[in-house]
Amino acid sequence: MDYFGQLLANGLVLGAIYALTAVAYTLVYGVVRLVNFAFGELFMLGAFLTISLMTSEVQLFGTAVAMPALPFPVAALFAVALTALFGILIDYIAYRPLRKAPRLAPLISSIAVSVVLQSVAQTIWGSEQVHFPDFGLADLDPIVFFDSIYIRVMDVVVMAAAILAMVGLSLFIAYSKLGRAMRASAEDPMAATLLGIPVNRAIAAAFALGSGFAALAGLLYAQSYGFAHATMGFLPGLKALTAAVLGGIGSIPGAALGGVLLGLIEALGAGYIPDGSAYKDAISFAILILLLFMRPQGLLGRPELNSAGAGSLLDGVATVGKGGMQSLLGRLDAGFAWLAGSGARMKVAALAVAIVAGLIIPSDYWLRILTMVLIYGMLASGLNVIVGFAGLLDLGFVAFWAVGSYFTSILFVLVLKQAFGIDAQSVWWLFYVNLIIGGLLSALIAMILGTPTLRLRGDYLAIMTLGFGEIVRIVATNWIGLTRGPMGIPDVPAPFLFGLQVKSPMAFYFVALALTAVILFAISGLVRSYVGRAWVAIREDEHAAEAMGVPTARYKLYAYAVSGFVGGFVGVFYAHYQLFISPLNFSLFENIVILMLVVLGGLGTFIGPFIGALIWVVFLQLALDIPLVQSFPEIRFALLGVILMCLMLFRPQGLAATARVKLTMPGVGMERAS
Amino acid sequence: MNAPLTAPVPMPLLEIEDLHVNYGRIRAVDGLQMQVGSGTIVSLVGSNGAGKTTSLTALSGILPLSGGRIRFGGEDITHLAPELRVRRGIAHVPERRRLFPGMSVRENLVLGSYIRHDRHGIEQDIAVMVELFPILGDRFAQMAGTLSGGEQQMLAIARGLMSRPSLLVMDEPTMGLSPKMIDVILDTVQRINSQGTTVLLVEQNAIEAMRLSDHVYIMRLGRIVHQDTGARIDPELVKAFYMGEVL
Repeated sequence: MDYFGQLLANGLVLGAIYALTAVAYTLVYGVVRLVNFAFGELFMLGAFLTISLMTSEVQLFGTAVAMPALPFPVAALFAVALTALFGILIDYIAYRPLRKAPRLAPLISSIAVSVVLQSVAQTIWGSEQVHFPDFGLADLDPIVFFDSIYIRVMDVVVMAAAILAMVGLSLFIAYSKLGRAMRASAEDPMAATLLGIPVNRAIAAAFALGSGFAALAGLLYAQSYGFAHATMGFLPGLKALTAAVLGGIGSIPGAALGGVLLGLIEALGAGYIPDGSAYKDAISFAILILLLFMRPQGLLGRPELNSAGAGSLLDGVATVGKGGMQSLLGRLDAGFAWLAGSGARMKVAALAVAIVAGLIIPSDYWLRILTMVLIYGMLASGLNVIVGFAGLLDLGFVAFWAVGSYFTSILFVLVLKQAFGIDAQSVWWLFYVNLIIGGLLSALIAMILGTPTLRLRGDYLAIMTLGFGEIVRIVATNWIGLTRGPMGIPDVPAPFLFGLQVKSPMAFYFVALALTAVILFAISGLVRSYVGRAWVAIREDEHAAEAMGVPTARYKLYAYAVSGFVGGFVGVFYAHYQLFISPLNFSLFENIVILMLVVLGGLGTFIGPFIGALIWVVFLQLALDIPLVQSFPEIRFALLGVILMCLMLFRPQGLAATARVKLTMPGVGMERAS
Repeated sequence: MNAPLTAPVPMPLLEIEDLHVNYGRIRAVDGLQMQVGSGTIVSLVGSNGAGKTTSLTALSGILPLSGGRIRFGGEDITHLAPELRVRRGIAHVPERRRLFPGMSVRENLVLGSYIRHDRHGIEQDIAVMVELFPILGDRFAQMAGTLSGGEQQMLAIARGLMSRPSLLVMDEPTMGLSPKMIDVILDTVQRINSQGTTVLLVEQNAIEAMRLSDHVYIMRLGRIVHQDTGARIDPELVKAFYMGEVL
């Protein structure tokens, strides 16, 4: 009982923090239908700002800046207010220009904002944990309930603050003029405008409130754990999003309920389930998936929000950007479209260029980089099947890549070599078999994971796949018996080809090129078939496709399977190329990068993923020559985020949008018709 | 551009000059000229796709103009933000009503008065609206989305009136309503007008619209092709324009 009571108390404190952050997601989602991934980073910002305001001096790019050393409550208040202003600024720069853009654009933009904030924070506050300053309230003796349950005074403050903030917000939304305007803007922005409501200001208010809530949660979290860190917002942000969905996204009481439930589940799960603390994050996501499967609108959500964010991900046009810029991008696009549309001869030519490049590039360093381009290009092609062709947002793709990599590594290293002492050379053919088996295994998992998502649309789908991806990563990290956990699996053998080991960067490059050709051939064959047309139909309008007799569920599963296969296939090669894998290789960040590549190059095109990969990998290398980047390497990611954001603002449809495979494919339709 | 301009009344409240609105390459409104006299009811009629709704949406500032000028109460409002046009006295009751379905009837009315700050006056006006549409009084706490079509239209008009506009713009207020309900709505339009509010009406029911209008504009392919006073306009001619017999 004492143990239970203590867990309950801990869970409530954690739940209060989740609830505050969940409110941020729910508030903004309710008004603009955007999952603002940046709230995790605003959470972190709240914590860092509080710490900085409480100290007497901070280091900014190597120079000491005097700070006011405010007492905790004042510092917290300032941090919340500053973050709220910051939220307005983010909305103004990154989201407002995209209100009429394809729905994927603001989502990508929010991920870009996240990346920028995180790497800027790392540059300013360093990548080490920053200790939370001591203050009076925190040093008081804990309050003891029933002689055995210890609750710190600050924990009581956390809960009280959460309850106060939540009640205050609910009253504000229900009865104030601005609150009513926010609700009106959420229900029908155009009607609201016609009544004289400045809708953009109402949305900005939602962002300000949400950011303030996230900051409050972040600073409470940081004081509770005693430190702040540049990536501290990531997992709580994800959990809070989970909580918001659990409670029913768009509903403030729902967010509160979801947060508290999630906090309790985690605390109790960590306390009672064997090895529970290692898997507590996975528990939250598993519950999310279960809930979305059974009750997609969440506990208190309104069923009509079920298909929230449904509708085409990719429809719409750019609204920002003036003459010269647009015409330049347009010409670039036309160039890619020409490249993509110019048939077999061009493909042979592209292959020839790639082969010649492999032969004449003398530098091993650049060959390795080009190999990475091919690997990322292949991965992006796999994700492109789901996102670009079938139009379903998938944030868990990285899991399939991980499954392929782990499968082959475990088989070669842990089973064959360590358990049976079989050398890789004697079973060299197994690598090639593994490419297929790894692919099939991932495809199978993709279909199993895909089944519950079939009923979901739009943003819910994204959140659910994100949950899957995280579960796989958490399992890979914690199931030490199977995966060696964070230690990773070293000494994965390089592949052999008839007794010759693939060793030189040039050899690897050509293996990668061959695999690329196979994958591109397979994907383009599928896309140009009946299956591909069904995908494109689903992408363009799922309801219409269904009405026209396309069994959408089945074809969505096919898309998952194909995408999973590619992920697993590439994963097998990746493991044998890197020679070492660990859970760090398969983080959500990697998934975001891969998604960025597809978006960058152009969704639903065959060359887009490779254009994106080329730009990204080469950029990462070239950026190392910029002096600022040399002293602050994290800035690279900030630059990437800025580039991505600019791309979304000026060309939300991607660089090669015209090359996107359309519903009317020349040739295919005619054959079928006759 | 081509239609001869005869000012319907000496003092126009709204003047639209050479209005152009493009959707990409399509010229939805192509040089619209019209005037709405203070205190009158003016109808804009025409077949589907003539550009009526587009013109109204541009008038409210929701759609960007490609050219032309809009003057309201003697002031140029061409570049004014939509919400500021409401403050100047234009209330637009949009096509398909566009109520806030998840909010109560009362909240919809209160939102209509967003630009006002006189709490007391707002409460009084809500009472006035209930007088105008007694059924709304019985539905106060009900969600707007659960009202019948006719009730929704009444609420939409009442919501528009809550900003105390000098010009009430209505886009197809009788769409999808029963003949009886159409009479009720059009009677109310007349009543609102008789209390001093200028009305600009877009209607598919051209004959009904002509009956109560002071002035009628016929629109076709983005332009005014004919105009006359409500009393003088020839119904046969209107019919011919609808059927595309006169170009």
